[in-house]
Amino acid sequence: MSAALAACAALLLRDLRAVARSRSQLYSSILFPLMLLALLGAGVSDGLRPASPILGDGDYTDFLAPGMIAMTAIFASTFSSAGFYRDRETGTLQALLISPHSARTILFGKALAAVVIGSLQSFVVLILAAAIPGIELAWQFGWLGGAATVVAAIIALNVMLNGLALLIATRVRTMQGFHLIMNLALFPLFFLSGAFFPLDSAPEWLRIISYINPLTYPVDLIQYASWAPSPEGLLGPAIDAPLLAALAIAAIWLGLRRAPAAVQ
Amino acid sequence: MQTVTPAAQLRAATFHWPGGRGVAQIDLDIEPGRWITLLGPNGAGKSTILRLIAGQLDAQQGRLRVFGEPPGPAARRRIGVLFQEPTTDDLMTLRETLDLHARLFGLSRAERSPRIAQLLDELQLAERADDLCATLSGGLRRRLDLARALLHRPTLLLLDEPTLALDPSSAEAIWRRLRALRDDGCALLVGSNDTAEAEANSDEVVFIDDGQIVAQGAPSQLTAALRSDSVELDWPACGAPQLAELQRLEGVGAVRSAPPTLHLTVDHAASFAPTLFQRWGGEIRGIRIRESSLRDAWFQIVGRPLHAENQS
Repeated sequence: MSAALAACAALLLRDLRAVARSRSQLYSSILFPLMLLALLGAGVSDGLRPASPILGDGDYTDFLAPGMIAMTAIFASTFSSAGFYRDRETGTLQALLISPHSARTILFGKALAAVVIGSLQSFVVLILAAAIPGIELAWQFGWLGGAATVVAAIIALNVMLNGLALLIATRVRTMQGFHLIMNLALFPLFFLSGAFFPLDSAPEWLRIISYINPLTYPVDLIQYASWAPSPEGLLGPAIDAPLLAALAIAAIWLGLRRAPAAVQ
Repeated sequence: MQTVTPAAQLRAATFHWPGGRGVAQIDLDIEPGRWITLLGPNGAGKSTILRLIAGQLDAQQGRLRVFGEPPGPAARRRIGVLFQEPTTDDLMTLRETLDLHARLFGLSRAERSPRIAQLLDELQLAERADDLCATLSGGLRRRLDLARALLHRPTLLLLDEPTLALDPSSAEAIWRRLRALRDDGCALLVGSNDTAEAEANSDEVVFIDDGQIVAQGAPSQLTAALRSDSVELDWPACGAPQLAELQRLEGVGAVRSAPPTLHLTVDHAASFAPTLFQRWGGEIRGIRIRESSLRDAWFQIVGRPLHAENQS
């Protein structure tokens, strides 16, 4: 067990170094959500002046901030998964797999690294969003409780996304195919998660799709803990937390169960 | 009498890739302190055998043992693997690459640095130790991959084309290092399509063709049936009557025809060649004469040359 943990720690160190050296990846996964927050937030708030009561003072930027935190996790996990394909194509994964650890341990180590990297990047966006004077976050459980809930939701979201990425890797052999899946599936799911518009005022058909969308629950939980002026219109932690935990555990379990065959 | 556990033992091992290629009915014993070369063309199944022993593939039939145990993660602690393709990560330095694998193989903190420094030094990589792998040439990547394979002091080395992309002097340094490891009791299984390297270094050579073992033995055993000189002829018009007549000439061994090439070994090429050209000079378009070697044994046993490109 300790040998497996040491192996996971070594893989984490390796992937942290790789991200630190790949600055363009680091910047784009953090800067793009922040840029969207600034441009889309200001543009919609001042340009359209939304009157929905759920927006409270009508500031769309505040509403958008939790979604951008979730978006950072999606970007980071996409980059991490692309790294998995790069490792496979360059032969690096093959060298890792002939170490005295099972394929499942190696893939768990890589998934752990991806979760840590994705979570750290999301934390950076969370901290910046909290620090920017124009964005007013409203912590539902007090500052500490709200931040802890957001951190937990970010970690669970990253676990779920990386489990899904492993599952995709078992089916899709090329990086081009992976990016196609991401564009065709993950981004539409993100748009339907409630990150860009409140779900309770959306048409019923759209709400139904959103409620079977796994990304809805982490976005809702982050919104609830860090933004919502009132709990109305949101699913709330009693629904989000158990569903998100179950989805995260199921995704990573299925991913790790299926992935060793895919790397053979 | 004490029996030595083979480093690896295969009995009727069979693995087929989707699409049909693979290996079938492979029997092989790799004893400690022995160097065995799997010799065959690309796609013959050499890499598949190496991957079966490394536990990367599961045999679909037959039995495999590595140090007496089924292949798998535990056995890999004693195996060093060098793949045919590079495995270096462009975003890591050479030292970081070796450090990662030292950690994966459980080398202690005290052991890691001196062992990495030793291998970097031995494989003449020390000056580049803190450069990113992205800056390395193919030959340097090969040496780094070899350092990775040797890092945990394996007692069974599985090496796929170990001197691929290396210049002759670097290749010879690698062979010297590997011979020293064999002399220290390490078992080596080398996949190669270089007959000269196989003949020079191996205790045993295994001819693999189309996924099956077609011959195996010491290089001297495999070449024992050959006459002293090898003759390869480009002779597209050669038919059965010419073949029969050639066979009857004195001092001529077995003749193999793989149109447009004809391969034979003879006692004295210097006296055979004039006779040949007097008789069929107008039909023969090219001739290559050299001392008989393992590559001729391959041609004689398999019935075609190991490398089409070597005919030029």
